[in-house]
Amino acid sequence: MKPTTKQLTLCALLTAMALALSYLENLFPLSLAIPIPGVKLGLANIVTLFALYALGPGQALLILLARCFLGALFAGNMNALLFSLLGALSALGVMILLSRLRGLSLYGVSAGGAAAHNCGQIAAAMLTLGNSAPLYYLPVLLAVSLLTGGLTGLASACLFRGLRSTNLMKG
Amino acid sequence: MPMRPSPKLRPTAWDALVVLCVAALAIGLAVFQWRGGTQESLTAVVSVDGEEIDRVSLERAAGKRTYQAGAYTLTVEYAAGSARVLSSDCPTQDCVHTGIITRSGQSIVCLPARIIIRLEGGAAKDGGVDAVLG
Amino acid sequence: MKRLTAYGFLMLLLLSGCGAQLSPDEAQESIQVIAMDTAMLITTYGERSPAAAYACEDTIRDLEKKLSRTDPDSEVSRLNNAGTLEDSESELRSILIQAGQYCQKTGGAFDITVAPVVAAWGFAGGDGYRVPSQKELDRLLELVDGFAVKGNGQTLSLGPGQSIDLGAIAKGYAADKLVGVFQEYEVPRGLAQLGGNVLAYGDRPDGTPWRVGIQDPAKPDDQNAFAGVLELTDAFAVTSGGYQRYFEENGKRYHHIIDPATGYPADSGLTSVTVAAGISDGSGAMCDALSTALFIMGEEKALDLWRHWDGTPFELVLVTEDGRVVVTEGLADRFTPDESGGYAYETVS
Repeated sequence: MKPTTKQLTLCALLTAMALALSYLENLFPLSLAIPIPGVKLGLANIVTLFALYALGPGQALLILLARCFLGALFAGNMNALLFSLLGALSALGVMILLSRLRGLSLYGVSAGGAAAHNCGQIAAAMLTLGNSAPLYYLPVLLAVSLLTGGLTGLASACLFRGLRSTNLMKG
Repeated sequence: MPMRPSPKLRPTAWDALVVLCVAALAIGLAVFQWRGGTQESLTAVVSVDGEEIDRVSLERAAGKRTYQAGAYTLTVEYAAGSARVLSSDCPTQDCVHTGIITRSGQSIVCLPARIIIRLEGGAAKDGGVDAVLG
Repeated sequence: MKRLTAYGFLMLLLLSGCGAQLSPDEAQESIQVIAMDTAMLITTYGERSPAAAYACEDTIRDLEKKLSRTDPDSEVSRLNNAGTLEDSESELRSILIQAGQYCQKTGGAFDITVAPVVAAWGFAGGDGYRVPSQKELDRLLELVDGFAVKGNGQTLSLGPGQSIDLGAIAKGYAADKLVGVFQEYEVPRGLAQLGGNVLAYGDRPDGTPWRVGIQDPAKPDDQNAFAGVLELTDAFAVTSGGYQRYFEENGKRYHHIIDPATGYPADSGLTSVTVAAGISDGSGAMCDALSTALFIMGEEKALDLWRHWDGTPFELVLVTEDGRVVVTEGLADRFTPDESGGYAYETVS
């Protein structure tokens, strides 16, 4: 299916916003409050969540890939690519599955995605280090992900509420 | 372009289920690690050139094992709570001279073969030492 | 709604901050490195502990590349093979200068040019151990003269036929370098064991000093037998003894610490010497060099040197063949005897 110009524009815009949000959350390093590696707000997840509902899984994946590659490129840190890719892909995968469950609201989907994001990052850390030591951080990261997931869920809910009157959600 | 289902914007009871699942996973993992961390039994870790090649629990006697590295062969005897190099065909025999190791943190080294046998886990090192000079 | 969102945001931040506080000390990394003819174990703490540990390994590997006697491309090998080295790096020169100082201060008991003699005994690695003939030793002893090692600008030179072995100072020098790595990576505490050299950096995670056992030389096979335990904070400690690297021939035991004066394993009445000093520039190399030298010199001369030392202060634990453990005054309150060894303990001033 060929994307419409509107969709393409929206994809580009969302990618830019996701990148901006990733940058923004570095200005508020949550890891200062919780000094373990990998702790962050995951604001870019708001974009993934929005794209998933507004544009569908395929384009959400495209935005996510563009965000990860460009983010690593801008940061000049290709090592971080594996981490962000594994984290973001796990998050998207889980959110696609959860969004099919009609009973769940944005909050549940977002929290599940945040938890999956952390699992993916820990997996990347274990791959890089070649041992299971990073697993030690996972319980704390999961607990934190419930909070950050709830927070991004809240932000997304506000977003959708605000956009309800526009035609963005109708494809 | 089909209409996508509009997402629910208010938390539902099902969300609580997701939260519970994640929380259960976190708590389960933490408990597992905590138990593993404190009850991990004394273990001999054998490495060649920093690369781990064997891991032997010393909870009960594990008999003799031989390791080959470089041009040398070491025979290590694992008893309950201790390890020692029984024999080695290395020229220096330092590893055999090291004798029996019994506590977490102790190690036997065979330089010619580049083998290190190190004890990990076991009881806390109360009254023990952090390092040995000699 | 906006206000509610803001409050929620704050609450979440606070909650997560309180609930998940982890001490940065829990981050810890241990690595094992086989280098410089020994096994090294380095444990670093703090948030940057993995990076610090790997930087330590790099530092040690880098030093080994320069100082190894077995690597034909090392600076030391090139100097040994050619007798001169024109493009030496400052690192090697700095070690040789320190080696020269300790050679002079110990009256030649510490001497890096004893290498050919050590090699004749087989302690330089390779073909196994043997007892050289007196004739061979006499010939080799003529080559031993630490003062024949000269430096002029970047050019280093040895006397004719000489070769050097930095094995008795290199690990201490490496320990000095590790202090620099620890500082660079803001490691709050760490413990490095470099084969008989210990660097106790900072204190233990529980806030008490690092506990470092001195192996009981009479029971080298018993890893739990100590002549005593030192409590160290920000300090180096090095032990030299003849009980671990040795061989036996015709019922006689020959250990690896060769007296440059006789060409034979040192026989000074001591079974182990421990030298400890606080962390300051070059004190790791000092402890390493002195532990070897004082083991060769014996109790009386060692204590004399300690009393009249004009450099960085150090303290001693001497274990004697006749069953005494002699501790110098400055270390007495940081030394715990191990009564099970049956030693008589003395404090000297």
